Order: sequence, then C-alpha cells, then structure tokens
Amino acid sequence: MDDIFTQVREGNAFHVRVWLDNTENDLNQGDDHRFSLLHWASREGRTNIVDMLIQRGARINATNMGDDTALHLAASHGHRDIVLMLLHNKANINAINEHGNTPLHYSCFWSQDIISEDLVNNGALVSMCNKFGETPLDKAKPRMAKILKDRAVALGQDLNRIPFKDRSWLGYKTRSRDATLSRNAGIDISQLALTQQISNTHSGSVWRGTWQGNDIVAKILKVQEVTSRIARDFMEEFPRLRIFNHPNILPVLGACNDPQNLIVISQFMPFGSLYNVLHEETGLVIDQNQALRFSLDVARGMEFLHTLEPMVPNFYLTSRHVLIDEDLAKINIDDPKYMREGAVNGIDEDLTARINMADYKFSFHERGKLYAPAWLAPEALQRKPSEINVRAADMWSFAILLWELATREVPFADMSPMEIGMKVALEGLRVQIPLGTSQHTTRLVKICMNEEPGKRPRFDMVIPILEKMKLSS
Amino acid sequence: MASPGPSGTLKKQKEDSFLGEFIGTITRKKKQKEVVDLQEEGKNAIESPSSPTSPDMGPEAFMLEENEERSMIEPGSREDAKVKELIMMLLDWINDELAEQRIIVKDIEEDIFDGQILQKLIEKLARVRVEVPEVTQSEIGQKQKLRIVLDTINRILNLTPTWNQQKWTVDSIHSKNLVAILHLLVTLARHFRAPIRLPENVAVSVVVVQKRDGLLQTRRVIEEITGTNDDIGARFERDAFDTLFDHAPDKLNVVKRSLIGFVNKWLNKVNLEVTDLDNQFHDGVYLVLLMGLLEGYFVPLHCFHLTPTSFEQKVHNVSFAFELMVDAGLPQPKARPEDVVNLDLKSTLRVLYNLFTKYKALP
Repeated sequence: MDDIFTQVREGNAFHVRVWLDNTENDLNQGDDHRFSLLHWASREGRTNIVDMLIQRGARINATNMGDDTALHLAASHGHRDIVLMLLHNKANINAINEHGNTPLHYSCFWSQDIISEDLVNNGALVSMCNKFGETPLDKAKPRMAKILKDRAVALGQDLNRIPFKDRSWLGYKTRSRDATLSRNAGIDISQLALTQQISNTHSGSVWRGTWQGNDIVAKILKVQEVTSRIARDFMEEFPRLRIFNHPNILPVLGACNDPQNLIVISQFMPFGSLYNVLHEETGLVIDQNQALRFSLDVARGMEFLHTLEPMVPNFYLTSRHVLIDEDLAKINIDDPKYMREGAVNGIDEDLTARINMADYKFSFHERGKLYAPAWLAPEALQRKPSEINVRAADMWSFAILLWELATREVPFADMSPMEIGMKVALEGLRVQIPLGTSQHTTRLVKICMNEEPGKRPRFDMVIPILEKMKLSS
Repeated sequence: MASPGPSGTLKKQKEDSFLGEFIGTITRKKKQKEVVDLQEEGKNAIESPSSPTSPDMGPEAFMLEENEERSMIEPGSREDAKVKELIMMLLDWINDELAEQRIIVKDIEEDIFDGQILQKLIEKLARVRVEVPEVTQSEIGQKQKLRIVLDTINRILNLTPTWNQQKWTVDSIHSKNLVAILHLLVTLARHFRAPIRLPENVAVSVVVVQKRDGLLQTRRVIEEITGTNDDIGARFERDAFDTLFDHAPDKLNVVKRSLIGFVNKWLNKVNLEVTDLDNQFHDGVYLVLLMGLLEGYFVPLHCFHLTPTSFEQKVHNVSFAFELMVDAGLPQPKARPEDVVNLDLKSTLRVLYNLFTKYKALP
C-alpha cells in the first residue's frame, strides 16, 4: 500500500495508473509528512505522473507539513515542464511555506534561472519577504537578480518590500488527506464520538462526530429489525461505496455493524447538500457560473460511476444526494481577486459538488418505497432496474438537476411523492422550463430528458458541452 | 395424559415407520427402490450426527420398569385429515414468520425437536433474544439449548409449571413426540394471535402402554389438541368490529361512510375515488397507494400489480400493503391477506380502521 509513494518517486507510471484505477485508493492522501503523490511526482520530475494526477483531480495547492506546495518542490528541483503544468492548472504562484518562502525564493536560491523567469512572467512577486525579511532577489545571484528585477519592473510590479505576514490563521492551507481515512473499512462504534444529531429522516438519523481527529457524519440506517441476513448484505454492499479515487465522489469511509445498528460513515461537509444550498438558507450565493461548475462536477462524478463495472446499483441521483465540499486547495489564494478585505469567505470557486455514496440505497433498505420520484425517469418509476437502461435513467435525473440549477426551484414542490410518481409515470407530467432560461441550458435539459431512453446522451458526451458553456459564459 | 418416559414414544414410532417404509419399499419397482434408498442414505448421512436416535436399536429400549408408562400416537391418527390440516397450517405459519431469515420448515417433528427453530420463532414472535449456541450437534448440547428455549417460552406464555409440564417437556419435544410438539405450537400460535384459523376440535388418539404385574397393558386415550375457537375466543379481545357487527348493524353504515371519507381525501390526490368499501379494496391496489400517500413515498409500479387479475396477484398486493403498514409502525394486521381478497368485510374494515386511527389527523 504505502509504496505507492515509492512508485511515484521512481516514475513507475504503469503501476501508478493501476493503483489510481482502484476505487479504494485516495489519490490525495499524504505520507507521514503529508507529502502527497503530486508533491513527490513534482519533486522527482515525473511529468507524466503529474499530468495523470492532475487529470484525476489531485489537489494542486495541497501542502505538506512544512506548508510546501507541489510548485515549491518543482521550482527548487528545476522541473520546468511541471512548473508550467502546475501554473496552468491554477497553482498558487505566491504560496508561502512555513519559512515564508515562495516558489520563487527557491528557484532563485537554486539558480533555476529559466524557471525564475517563468515564475516572474506568470506573476510571482519579487519583493515578497520571508520570515527573515529576505526577498527572492536577495536569494538570487546578482546577475539573475538584476534580470528578474528589470522584468518585474517591466511587468509593473511595485518593488517595495512586502513584509512577511503570517496568514496561517486564515486556515486556507489544506494539507493532503490523512491517509488512514481510506485504510479502515470496519469501524468500531465506540471509536465514534457522536456529538449532535443533524437530521432524522425516513431513511435514518444523521449524526456529527469525530473519528481519529476527522470531522465525520454517521448515518444510522432505519431498519425495522437487523436480521443476520440484513447485516450480511450490509457488509457485502458497503465496501463498494468506498470510492476514493475521484474528486467528485464523496466516499463512504467505513461502516459500523453494531448488532442492532447499521451505520455508514463519511466526511462532514459543512455546506450540506446541493438541495440545501439551492433551496434553503445557507448564506451561499450560487451564481450561474457556480451552478455551471456544479453541474460539471456532478457530470464528471456520474461519468466515473458509469465506467465502473459492474456499476454500483441503487444510487439515485437527486440534489439531496450531491454534497457541497469546500476545497481551498483548489484556489489560488493570492490571486488579486481574493485579496479583497474579508474575501476569503466570499470565494465560491473553492466549492466542489461531490456525489455522496452514503446516500446509496441498500438492497434491504426501504424496499418498495421511493421518496424522491421527482428526479426519476418514467421508466425507472415503472420497471425494475434490471429491466431498464440505468445509465439513461441517470441522465434523466441529471436533466432534473440541471433544471433545478437553472430555476432554483424544487421540482413539483406542491405535490406529494405518490402524486408525482403516478403522474410522471402514467400521465406525462414533466418539469416546465421557464421562458428566459438560457437557450443552451434549455436545449441541454431537453436532450438529457428525451422520452426515448436510448436517445439520451451519455455523460461523456455532456461534459464537453458543459465545458464549452462554462468557457463562453 | 400419562407422562411419557424419556424418548420411549419416539423409539417405538421410529421403529414403526422404519419397518413400514422398509416393507413399502421392497414392493415398489427396483429402480424406484434404489432412488429411495439412496435418498434415505443421503438423508441419514446428513442427519445422523445431529440426530439423537439411531434407527437400529435393540429390544432393551422397549423394556419397561414395573408400573412405567409410555405413550405414542396411534399411527392412524396422524393420517387424520384434521391433524394433517393442523400440521400444514402450523408449518405455513412458522414458515411465514421465519421467511425473512430464509428458514424453511418442512417436517414438524424432524425440524422442531432440537430447539433451533423454536429459538428463532420465539425470538421473532416475542422480539427477544435467547442466548444459546447457534448450532449444537451433541444430544446433551441440544437438550441444554432446548431447555433454555422452552424455559423462555414458558416464561413468556406465563404458564403455571404444572400445566405445561403435562403438555410438553424437554424430553418429549426432543424425542420428537408429535403430541407434545403440537401442543406447544398451538399454544404459541394462540398466544401470539397467529393470523391463521386453526381447525377446531382436533384430537389424536394416543396409545398408552403400562407394565403391570409384569404384563404390558395398553389403553387408548383421546388427547385434545385444539378446542373450539369460540372456547378460546374469550382469550382474544373482541374488538369494536365484532361488537359492531353483532349488536349494531345499523351503525355499520355510519362507520363505512366515515372510512370512505377518509380514504377518498387521500385517493382523490391521484384522481381516484372509492364508492364501495366492500369491493374496491380487495385487490390491494388502493391499500398500497394509500400507504404511499399517507407515508410520503411513491411505490415503484414493479413492486405490485396495478391491475391484478389472478387471486395470487391480489394476495401479493394485499400482503405487500401489510408489509408497508408494518414498516410504518402499524401493528401487524390481524386479518389475513386472503380474507381481504375474499371480500371479508370485517377484515377489510379492521385494516382501514387501523389506518384511520393512525392518520385521521394528518392534514
């Protein structure tokens, strides 16, 4: 297990790819010093692996215990192609580590001249002071210092020294994940410090707690009586929900099978579900851009789920089953647009939508009952999953989600589930797209909820469309 | 009934059936015989380690002390139609109760004696846990387990020791004494109000053998297994509907009208209307839809028959509706699904009244 770090260091791309394909492996985990895979690949100059990791959703700005980002390591070790790749993927160019050093400090100190120029060209500040009051220019050899200084002036940089500011209290550093999170599947109920009940619904009661220092939520399934057969099915089904290798999927960390209680454990998400964010008071403002990013996140997560063979059955896509994560490692904190006073809490680009595997419906759970028929395709309301094209039915659910993001309304809000189900299945009830909705969105919703399941697109076809819409907006 | 000596009844029975089967077998065609032999051998091979009796026993097993008594059911009595019906009904009931655990009971004597099924049954019925080892092979282990299970049952049934000791004991159950097993199961079925209607006045004739002055003397005793249902009716609480039907048939229409008002308030939401309680609920469709409307979920249409045609489909629908009711925390309906399908008005009203009581205040 642990030697994935060795494999990355040594550049064994094939092995790394196989490892990444295993859903139980968390590509954002860190080693004992919280070096992530991306740190190691960047440090050792494994360009192809860096590329692979970024493609699969590695967190660009994750830090190790010394608060170094991958960019610090690539810059000091002189891997120019990796530096450029990281910058292209929004790496934080002026990130400071525990000594207050930026990547430019290191490239100057180690005389990585071309990289130093690249960094300055991309906005690295030459006058940032570290804890000891030294700027990158102080670290560079005189000839290079002069070149960089001239370049900075040409780019309009202010050469006054920027004093070191300890901003660690802002809490924007996001370390690589605790690797133990993905290692324990079976968890003893006594290890969970459950503190507060968050909700209590038809499917179970949800509690907040901590487990090995991590904020978690525990969902205690509502089951009339946990027979030994049900307990066995539970133990067989939950390991498939431990999907750690995709950024848009929120894995089940583990489960407790305390004889009378079946408990599913996942990470705590402070913003709750997409449903909460869209339809309830959370204080978050979701503009059209963010809505588009969310739909892209969900599409990517679903596309990944659809590539699994066999697929995870009984997952119903609704806005309640998509959680909103705050991933500060995704953003560039020193980007001027985040520099405004008090802006850190107003940032929205750090929000990620993740499909919550804990909302999977166990085979024994709530049999014969569908609580959210508004998101289900007509054929899914009528026939067994084994008799329909589940992927096409998921696409219908995605269309409802797009509609929700566009209208900010709950589908068929004034009707009860039974009415909705009967009318959608048998009487042709459909969501109405209000006039004034953008033409692109309207068309996309329409093709995704084609009455003919076979004519609906696949997620890999929808993603490029959404990407184009994002670029054009 | 005289208390049977330890395992005496069984040994004799076993001998009988073994002989009977043997004689029967040789008269059949050879091929058939081989098949049966093979099945028997396989069965013995599987069961012998856990079966406390071996079929080949010497005559000493039949030795009786002076004044000792043994009793056994008369072979003709097991063929009695009523006894067979009772056994079938009890087996169906046990299988219904234990279906969730994927337990299937086929033979009332062979499957009950070791306490395993009894344990599961009492755990399910009384919602208790009986702490006993899961599987026991030795006779001593089985008997210890059976004793714990029977003690639990006796305590739950709240019977005086003298009463049940006459009917069943660890030894009599473990020796597969049909009479004792039937007494036990019938008592359980009645105590837990099994949704079955036991045949009335079932009796078996029992042969009691006693040794007196060195001679074996036999006598026949008729052992009553079930009385009349009226007789035990006193132990059921009569509900309002019995009273209604018996004493105030004129009020029945009032009750029906308010129930119709209640169900239509909900069914109207999906554009359905009930006019006649007697005939419109028997296929279970409206019951299923009602549960979804009342509890706030949709029932996927593949889970039941929206337009049932056969009796089985209707029974499936009603049973499914009953499951949904239990899931919703309602008591298991006393009526049987078959009664509702067979247009038994009292059963239908009981079911609807249950819903009415729980949900009438729901906006």
